[in-house]
Amino acid sequence: MGTLRQAAIGKLRAWAARRHGRDSLPITINRRRVYILPTRFGIMLALMLTAMLVAGLNYNSNLGLAFSFLMMSIALVTMHHCNRNLLGLQVDVTTEADAFAGGEASFEFVLRNESSVDRRDVEIRCMAAAGISSVPARSDESVRVAIPVPRRGVVRVDQFELRTRYPFGWFHAWTYVQAALTAYVAPAPVGNRTLPAAGGVGSAARSETRGDEDFAGLRAYEPGVPLKHMAWKVLARGGEAAVRSYTSLAAQPEWLEWSSLEGQDTETRLSQLCLWVLESEAAQRVFGLRVPGKEIPPARGAAHRFACLRALAMYGIAEPR
Amino acid sequence: MSPKTVSYEQVVGISACLALALLAHLGTLPVWVLVTVAVSGGIRAARARRGRAAPPRAVRLAVDALAIALLFLQFRTFNGLSAGTALLALTAGLKLLETDTQRDIYVITLIIYFLSVSALLEGESFWLLAYLIGVCWLTTATLLRLTSTLPAPDWRRSLRYAGRILGQALPLALVFWLFFPRFAGPLWHMPDDGSTAGSGLSDTMSPGDITELALSEEIAFRVRFATAPPPPQERYWRGPVLHDFDGRTWRRTNSFLNAAPALQLQGPAYRYTLSLEPHQHNWIFALDWPSHWDLPRGSLTGDYTLIQPDPVSRPIDVEATSYTRVQSSEPLSMLGRRRDTKLPSNRNPRTVRLAQTLRGAHPDDMDYVRTVLELFTQQPFYYTLTPPKLADNSVDAFLFDTKRGFCGHYASAFATLMRAAGIPARVVTGYQGGTFNRFADYWILRQSDAHAWTEIWIDGRGWLRIDPTSAIAPSRVEHGLSDAASTDGRLVSRWQRRTPWLADTRLRLDALRQLWRERILLFDQDSQQKMLEWLNIPEPDGQKLVMVLTAALTLVFGWLTWAVRREINPARQEPLIRAYSRLCAKLAAAGMPRRAHEGAEDYAARVAQGRPDLGPAVIALCRHYSMLRYAAAPARLTVGQFDAAVRAFRPDAARKRVRERT
Repeated sequence: MGTLRQAAIGKLRAWAARRHGRDSLPITINRRRVYILPTRFGIMLALMLTAMLVAGLNYNSNLGLAFSFLMMSIALVTMHHCNRNLLGLQVDVTTEADAFAGGEASFEFVLRNESSVDRRDVEIRCMAAAGISSVPARSDESVRVAIPVPRRGVVRVDQFELRTRYPFGWFHAWTYVQAALTAYVAPAPVGNRTLPAAGGVGSAARSETRGDEDFAGLRAYEPGVPLKHMAWKVLARGGEAAVRSYTSLAAQPEWLEWSSLEGQDTETRLSQLCLWVLESEAAQRVFGLRVPGKEIPPARGAAHRFACLRALAMYGIAEPR
Repeated sequence: MSPKTVSYEQVVGISACLALALLAHLGTLPVWVLVTVAVSGGIRAARARRGRAAPPRAVRLAVDALAIALLFLQFRTFNGLSAGTALLALTAGLKLLETDTQRDIYVITLIIYFLSVSALLEGESFWLLAYLIGVCWLTTATLLRLTSTLPAPDWRRSLRYAGRILGQALPLALVFWLFFPRFAGPLWHMPDDGSTAGSGLSDTMSPGDITELALSEEIAFRVRFATAPPPPQERYWRGPVLHDFDGRTWRRTNSFLNAAPALQLQGPAYRYTLSLEPHQHNWIFALDWPSHWDLPRGSLTGDYTLIQPDPVSRPIDVEATSYTRVQSSEPLSMLGRRRDTKLPSNRNPRTVRLAQTLRGAHPDDMDYVRTVLELFTQQPFYYTLTPPKLADNSVDAFLFDTKRGFCGHYASAFATLMRAAGIPARVVTGYQGGTFNRFADYWILRQSDAHAWTEIWIDGRGWLRIDPTSAIAPSRVEHGLSDAASTDGRLVSRWQRRTPWLADTRLRLDALRQLWRERILLFDQDSQQKMLEWLNIPEPDGQKLVMVLTAALTLVFGWLTWAVRREINPARQEPLIRAYSRLCAKLAAAGMPRRAHEGAEDYAARVAQGRPDLGPAVIALCRHYSMLRYAAAPARLTVGQFDAAVRAFRPDAARKRVRERT
């Protein structure tokens, strides 16, 4: 029974994917993509309503019939309300936080409700994970869905599901959104080696704290630069976004080397590198990463960190198309 | 979703709903069932309060088995309405005891809904329906709180939301109710419960029987005449006709004279509709001598009592035609004559002797009847609701000793006197008279109108009605019981006669009740047919009814979809935004549509450039809009005023004015 159900759901998902094609986020849930079916409780209700109707007809009782019809109508109205609970919701996925093997890859969904009715108990399902939230009228609410990731690599979600049983739990309305969500899962950041000194292996130790304060000039903005380095005044004058450049940015970089971790197996090495990346970033160092087949030139900032973690996550794994 | 365990508040909420639903069954369910439900609800709530789960499984199973066994011992079946309802109530109570997860509570809500219907299957009153709809509302609101995964909305909002759903369901329910095809008879017969005792007249009559009825204000039936009503002294509604007399009690015999004899009908025909309240007997109180009736399985007994095979357990309407004057030229059969002149031997000897004496002096039948009636009027007989108790020779005691009696006493004594003289006589029970409801043009017959009279057989004329009560208390027949026995003081309705406005109010209320009954309770196939005719649908039948139902449902579903989705349409939300959209639409129609990125004031400036004639008005309106929408301090202009100004704004009229001026 369970496998049959699973197979049916699989077929339905595939069919919905073919029917709606790929969606681009943010998406507004329209009525053509909301499906609705009674829940098990709803089927029990339907059986009871049938019994009520038969009893009313059998006893020729107009009051009994009136009540039965009222209950039937309440069920039908509830079906509309359940369906409406999803209609018109805007869905977006904002951040894709870091994920490490053995932890969770979490997607942050933002549900936006522009209508004047509350949307209650909206559940978002992504693979096996789910998050639930209520979105009051004219507001938005974020829902974190955390997918457990045992191994490093890449988690690709092709489709996620919005579902609700509100009100009364008689019906179950849902919709599929075909949006590609990707999360790179870096190796678990563990290791026992200390962070290599700046300048890389063999280079002379030099002061790391060579002053962030030494202003060196402006350079073009690139994502990931700390906000405090933004040249806001330039931007305010109507100029292009620029970043104040400091001497330390151009300081002697530190290299995190695959080759420095000889004698260990691949995953241990990757974990150690991952730990170093995090430590270097926390210490606001400029660092580069070298793994076989990939070299990330020294830099710093969120984008750089992300690129490094991604390189570690994808080591030896084919990039998704 | 994993089954969540239930909280104290949830147990209490659902128990309260169950209690309210069971309140509607208060009179019909065995008391121990109600007590069991109350106790198990109490135990469960007490445990939930201390944060404990349901009692152990073994205890629950033992209690379940015991309760079900008791129930079976009481009813001997689980089929039928009373037994089924009791079983359902018990299940809900025991389910309450073992409620651990929300799934158990879902089951209880379904039982509450079903208990409401089962109360209505036999109920008839508007108030019961209104009450149970209220219970349904409350249960639905409770369910809303139960099924919310996240912290539930507060009670007030839950009730409001459930009420809104109920309100949207009403039009749909009305369409279903009006157009869902009704069947002529039940789909199958449910076994009779046997617990419902008959009310009103029974098929035996002992002295004092009708006296009890006389104090009841309960309504037996209502009659609406299509023709002019018969005069008061001819408004006799025939019930069971009694033949067998044992000296004290009159009984209906197993009728061996099945076919009703042919009659020559005389005088005016009276057509009327009889709205009979359920009385659990199979006779129908037609006027005197019925000739036609529209009762599918109705038939006449040999005594002209209209009967149907099943007891009247639901309110029914019968259209019938009756005559009050009939003749029969056929002779009475030997068997019939023997039956209707039979008296128990050795009973009421003084009466028999008196009859023989009188008969000797008056050999003519009618002469003899007149003499007997004169006996009643000349001697000090009293008509009273509180007659003394009579011994076994009840007729003797009444005629010679107490001389106080009610209609039953007189009918019994008169029939005995007739039979002792060899004249076939029988006692007819039924109703007589009635109260006219001038507010709705029908007659009400209450249990206090129950009456007994006699019919005697005169060769060549047939059965002739003689009402000995009318000889003693003519006003009983002319004006009803409360007049005749007003000296009695025991009559409830006496004080009502003194306060006419109260009586009027009562009649008006009864008119409403009758309307409810005609329009709602007795809504059936015929009513649906009439409704289709009223809708100008030619040759209405079941198929067309289903078509009308489908069409009406489509309409209502369209409305429902619109009504439900309207609320989520952001453009329709705020009156201010709506008014502003209207302004933009007007300007767009005038050739100046707003660009998506344009704010109100930018837009107004552009309009003022493109259409100088509209400029000042649009700039003012847009400024108002900005103030209302964005100003922190409350604007001087209200949203309503802004809306009115937008409605009054006419871009085309402005242009025309400009043209006229130039």
